[in-house]
Amino acid sequence: MPLQLSLQQQSFLQEEEKTQIERAQKDPRFFAPLYERYYDAIFRYVYRRVDEEEQAYDITSSVFVKALQSLPKFEYRGLPFSAWLFRIAKSELYQSFRDQKSKRTVSIENVVVQQVVEEWTDTYSEQDKARLLNALKQLKEQQLQLVEMRFFEKRSFKEIGDICGMSENNAKVKTFRAVLKLKSIFHQKE
Amino acid sequence: MIMIKIILDRKEPSEAEVRAHQDFNQILAAHLYQQKVNNPWRYWYYLSITCVMLMLV
Repeated sequence: MPLQLSLQQQSFLQEEEKTQIERAQKDPRFFAPLYERYYDAIFRYVYRRVDEEEQAYDITSSVFVKALQSLPKFEYRGLPFSAWLFRIAKSELYQSFRDQKSKRTVSIENVVVQQVVEEWTDTYSEQDKARLLNALKQLKEQQLQLVEMRFFEKRSFKEIGDICGMSENNAKVKTFRAVLKLKSIFHQKE
Repeated sequence: MIMIKIILDRKEPSEAEVRAHQDFNQILAAHLYQQKVNNPWRYWYYLSITCVMLMLV
């Protein structure tokens, strides 16, 4: 029963969001509630990927300006509005890396690094930790993104798929392959 | 190739700190300015109005 209620609530929220998007498409002033709702999530997504906080605020602002510009073209086809915003954020981030305005950063919790190392080696040393961090740097950008979203940000495969423009299953398979690759680089010079 | 920097246990700004940076009016102003700049009629509007007025006179 609680699941049913939560599904009802979810569909109610989706409907409400759809209405807000339609209103904002006609008049940009009505974009405010959507901006308020997603600002924090987008900022944190950007912040974890750039090294300077101020840069993260600037990129977040440009994400919402771009979103407002592209909003008339947005069509609700099952893709959550949040995923659409994350895609814009991703594109703004890479533009910023290309222009060398900011540095690609990966923010990780030490506990997660320790967990992974212990799982792969049964022991934990500073040397293993350094090896894992080095292995991360050697992944291809897309592989790094998948590992980052799944293991450091704990996102679901559905969400990862929505953000990266692939199906949930594809996200699962590609993440699995990325982890295998990471593991093989990690064990290479053992 | 993009150089990668890894930061461990990075402190994230609090919700209140992030909220303090939110400014929808600034976003709206930037959007309206962009719209104005991207409008192809921007340069021709006053000229065409003047021409129409002259033709009417």
